[in-house]
Amino acid sequence: MKTIFLMTDTISEGYIILITGLLIVFSGLLALTWFFKYLMPIMLYVYKIITKGRDKKVSEISPKVNKQFTGEIAAAIAVAIHLYLNAQHDNENAILTIKQARKMYSPWSSKIYGTQGNRL
Amino acid sequence: MKKVILIFGVLSLLVFIRPVLNLNASTANTTTTTVTTTLAQADDVQEKTFVAEAIDGIKRFYSFTGFANAQSGNIIMIIIGIVFIYLGIKFDYEPLLLIPIGTGVILGNIPFVAGYQTGIYESGSVLNYLYFGVVKGVYPPLIFLGIGAMTDFSSLIANPKLMLLGAAAQIGVFGTFLGALYLGFNLPEAGAIGIIGGADGPTAIFLSSKLANGINILPDGTTVKNLIGPIAIAAYSYMALVPVIQPPIMKLLTSKKERLIRMKPPRAVSQKEKMIFPVVALLLTTFISPSALPLLGMLFFGNLLKESGRTERLADTARTKLIDIVTIILGVTVGASTQADIFITQDSMKIFALGAISFIIATMGGLLFAKFMNLFLKEGDKLNPLIGAAGVSAVPDSARVVHAEGIKADPHNYLLMHAMAPNVAGVIGSAIAAGIILSFLG
Repeated sequence: MKTIFLMTDTISEGYIILITGLLIVFSGLLALTWFFKYLMPIMLYVYKIITKGRDKKVSEISPKVNKQFTGEIAAAIAVAIHLYLNAQHDNENAILTIKQARKMYSPWSSKIYGTQGNRL
Repeated sequence: MKKVILIFGVLSLLVFIRPVLNLNASTANTTTTTVTTTLAQADDVQEKTFVAEAIDGIKRFYSFTGFANAQSGNIIMIIIGIVFIYLGIKFDYEPLLLIPIGTGVILGNIPFVAGYQTGIYESGSVLNYLYFGVVKGVYPPLIFLGIGAMTDFSSLIANPKLMLLGAAAQIGVFGTFLGALYLGFNLPEAGAIGIIGGADGPTAIFLSSKLANGINILPDGTTVKNLIGPIAIAAYSYMALVPVIQPPIMKLLTSKKERLIRMKPPRAVSQKEKMIFPVVALLLTTFISPSALPLLGMLFFGNLLKESGRTERLADTARTKLIDIVTIILGVTVGASTQADIFITQDSMKIFALGAISFIIATMGGLLFAKFMNLFLKEGDKLNPLIGAAGVSAVPDSARVVHAEGIKADPHNYLLMHAMAPNVAGVIGSAIAAGIILSFLG
């Protein structure tokens, strides 16, 4: 690199960087393109073949299904938990506050501007 | 808006009548001093000196205020800051960037007396500490982490050939680089200016902080100029103006028939492919351009966090809180770095001109390359050349612009997903280009 710096002026150095830079950017992204176009499907295919054998083993180690435990029991437990978590009405706040709701006058609620009669 | 103008009118009036005020103050002072000397024997000497001291104090206070120190440059920059904020709020041009930057511009141009650790360029000031992350290139990789965690590369994986459009738009980077050389900038400065064409704010800040930081020394003994502020502002403001800059070029370079081309919907991409992508792309791109490691490394790391399916918490933080925090600090400090005495120079004007040209070249590069690719593609596979324009990064604004233009030509042609592919490829491409420039000139 140093020799190029010494031998050429900045403009021609600029052209060198322009050409090489563009080439490298293109080749880099081209490499990525090719990888995802051609190499990736092969890789995925190989991976599929490799992992095919293992799938059976995974099913072997899965826990045995307890036949006593039916969906109805699961539903009953779920309902119980749901009720316990969401329906705790016993602990309601006993303090009641009654806020006075005196409405301010507003032409929107005024009886003068009712829909019947009294048309302006 | 009227109120803002009114306030500004008053402020600038105060600044311009400053000489008059000053004059008054000095004459008042002289009269009081003469009075005190002539009536020295009088009993009220104590009181007179007290008045003189009070006036002295007020004068000193005045000399510390912004009104006394304001220069026309500061006022111009503050108005620019307000215009940024206005553009962000009124026209919704990248408000997340323009509002912090606009505020930063105002902050950086409040006139102050040097030497009290106030300004962003005074070592030890709070703003200077925050600016450290810009000068050392700390913030851009963190932003890239967030971008990676929010970007979906699936449209690119589905149609890898669109990657080349992202590469084609990088001609803007190198074209501007050459233009900057012709305008008399030296090599590292030109490199930093060129990256504006990458339409990528973080990349532009990263590269300019490495090449044009005002610290590096050239082979001929001179120091490079500090161009981080102008480059960042140019990059971000043109990114915000993508919806204005790109459509005319698109219309100019594509025919009505080309704009009507409908592309095949991208195929579904499996999760496995999405997971492999960041790892492979990281390896490939950083092996080609190791200097871009901080940017590309963080980009693909963020994407892996998103796609791995196991680190949703981390990805979520990266794409929301983390990127927000960094954007706030980055925006304000970059804005504040535009202190008038450093920012308003002929170089900044040249950089702004070059920035506009670089965006135009980049857009044209993408569009023309899409048309060029169409020459080799079969009838059903042809690209809508509009998506080439999305090759300039500016994620996701340029993709949106492409989509809007496509809709204008044909209300049922949805190009957004197709345009995202060259858009994200443009991010990768400009980071690679930054790495190449850095390895040549760093």
